Amino acid sequence: MALIELHNVSKVYRLGNQKVPALTDINLKVEAGAFAVLAGPSGSGKTTALNLIGCLDHPTSGQVIVSGLDLGQSSNRQLADFRLQNIGFIFQSYNLIPVLTAAENAEFTLMLQKVPRSVRRQKVLALFAELGIDGLEQRKPADLSGGQQQRVAIARAMAADPRVILADEPTANLDSHTAEGLLDLMRRLNCEKGTTFIFSSHDERVIERAKRVIHLQDGHITADDTVPS
Amino acid sequence: MDLLYLAWRNLWRNRRRTIITLTAIAFSIMLVQALHNLSYGVYAGMVDSGVRAGSGHLAVYHDNYLATRDESLTFQDRDLIDKIAAIDGVTEVLPRLYIPALAQSSRESRGVVLIGVDPTSERRINPFLKDLPAEAMVRSTDSRDAVIGSRLLKELQINPGQKFVVTAQHRDGTLHSELLRVRGVVHSGMKDIDGSLILIGRQRATVLAGTAGAVHELAIILAETRQEAAVHRQVETIIGSRPEIEAVSWEQAMPNLANAIKLDYASQKFIFLIILVIVAIGVVNTLLMSVMERMREFGVILAVGSKPMTLRVMIFFEAFSLGLLAATVGTILGCLATWYLVKVGIDLTDFVPESLEFGGVVFDPVLRATWDPNWMVRIALYVIGLTLLAAAYPAVKAGRVTPVEGMRHH
Repeated sequence: MALIELHNVSKVYRLGNQKVPALTDINLKVEAGAFAVLAGPSGSGKTTALNLIGCLDHPTSGQVIVSGLDLGQSSNRQLADFRLQNIGFIFQSYNLIPVLTAAENAEFTLMLQKVPRSVRRQKVLALFAELGIDGLEQRKPADLSGGQQQRVAIARAMAADPRVILADEPTANLDSHTAEGLLDLMRRLNCEKGTTFIFSSHDERVIERAKRVIHLQDGHITADDTVPS
Repeated sequence: MDLLYLAWRNLWRNRRRTIITLTAIAFSIMLVQALHNLSYGVYAGMVDSGVRAGSGHLAVYHDNYLATRDESLTFQDRDLIDKIAAIDGVTEVLPRLYIPALAQSSRESRGVVLIGVDPTSERRINPFLKDLPAEAMVRSTDSRDAVIGSRLLKELQINPGQKFVVTAQHRDGTLHSELLRVRGVVHSGMKDIDGSLILIGRQRATVLAGTAGAVHELAIILAETRQEAAVHRQVETIIGSRPEIEAVSWEQAMPNLANAIKLDYASQKFIFLIILVIVAIGVVNTLLMSVMERMREFGVILAVGSKPMTLRVMIFFEAFSLGLLAATVGTILGCLATWYLVKVGIDLTDFVPESLEFGGVVFDPVLRATWDPNWMVRIALYVIGLTLLAAAYPAVKAGRVTPVEGMRHH
């Protein structure tokens, strides 16, 4: 069984009286350990698909199953618990909590999981060293560069050892050198830890590094290419 | 790092706004605490002054006297004064006889109320007599000395040391007169008192009224007002065998004063309520602005696995931190303000007549507070509760956002 399955999934947004289809009759399976990208131009449905896979939104029709959990059959509370235990998120604009230090931000999901303070701090320090941001633990997000903030966001996503990490345009706000460094880092984590990464991006650098590229256009999958390793 | 810690950090996210809100709440707490303590002190002073000049903290009357004020309803005090004076907490028992009479000088006559008193104990307690020199007081219970109100003295056109005549109805129905001499003059600042008061010895009063050994009132003065209930019970036990007399509290004996205080405090409570409502609106405003600014952040927090209830609890923790801090600072300021009002007070001498009258009693134009720590703590707790209540709407609003909606906010 695939880690992620989308069966005949459609998502329609309402804008006043108007219905705007974001995804139409999508079928998709993603295996564990994938390093896949949902590629396509703006408005193609990448973020909507990512939101559905991340259990952040419900489909208008169809079935989304993530790690055996059928979204349509789950309450919001169950979905929150599921996200906490199984899914990590990386956002385009980092979305760190500005009043917390870098280490505290990275510890946030562990705090929600009620992991003891000393254990989570130890784990985060190890992650910071692995991500090359050791020494920045006590800095606030405002005192970090974009690349450093995105590494902290990766640390936050990785800290709880999720099965899937969903990254929405993770390189959009970064210079090319930093972006490439981060992509290499995520690729390494994918290889070493087996964590599944799914990106939404139209950045060529991301698409080049992906093992699988799913092309979206106007809410439809137009191509699904697996890159031979 | 836990939710309370995160809430504390969030509170200082917009330092200036938090400080302004905190200052407003703390200042309101200080204002309410200091005003309450000032009122508490002023009311205590009024009650003290009222009970000393009037009925005492407790009073013993013939059981129908308060309702009718019929001067024939006297009772024999026998050994009651000694027995009541022996109760723990009682500092004085003042026997009084009230006689409506006509005072006449060679030039004028006036209707008056003669009060037959025990001069020694009365002088120790009655605030009207506090400025009266010892040599100006009635010398004994059967002397012909009289202490009279300054206004009455003027109206009768007599001077201290001069004689005048009082005429009253004797118990046998005839009119009896007594020749008295002005020994001292009382200036209470109250028109009614200064225009009608005549204090004479109790024995001389009973001779005039033909009520030997009888009194209308035993005014019981206590060391502390809070002993009232306990002493009341003991007095009732002592008078239990005499169904014709009753013991009443000062509120029953002086309903005008009690009601004036209640009415005044009720209007103050209304002002306190308005202040607290303004505080609540300020807190709602601060927390709501803080919530609206963080919608995107809430979306992210929910996305990473937090439950809406966690967000709500965090908002309540923020409100609790704000309320607790404001209550602490406000109470410290309230203590400082009360300390000043206890030590120095508010001097109204330049703004009001020589003496102030309220509810039928005279009180000091220098208003002084009295500590009421229980109430200070209570108001601080009320404000913390109110802050939590004010956080309800922002908390509900924060908990309603979905991850996707939240992350769409900019």
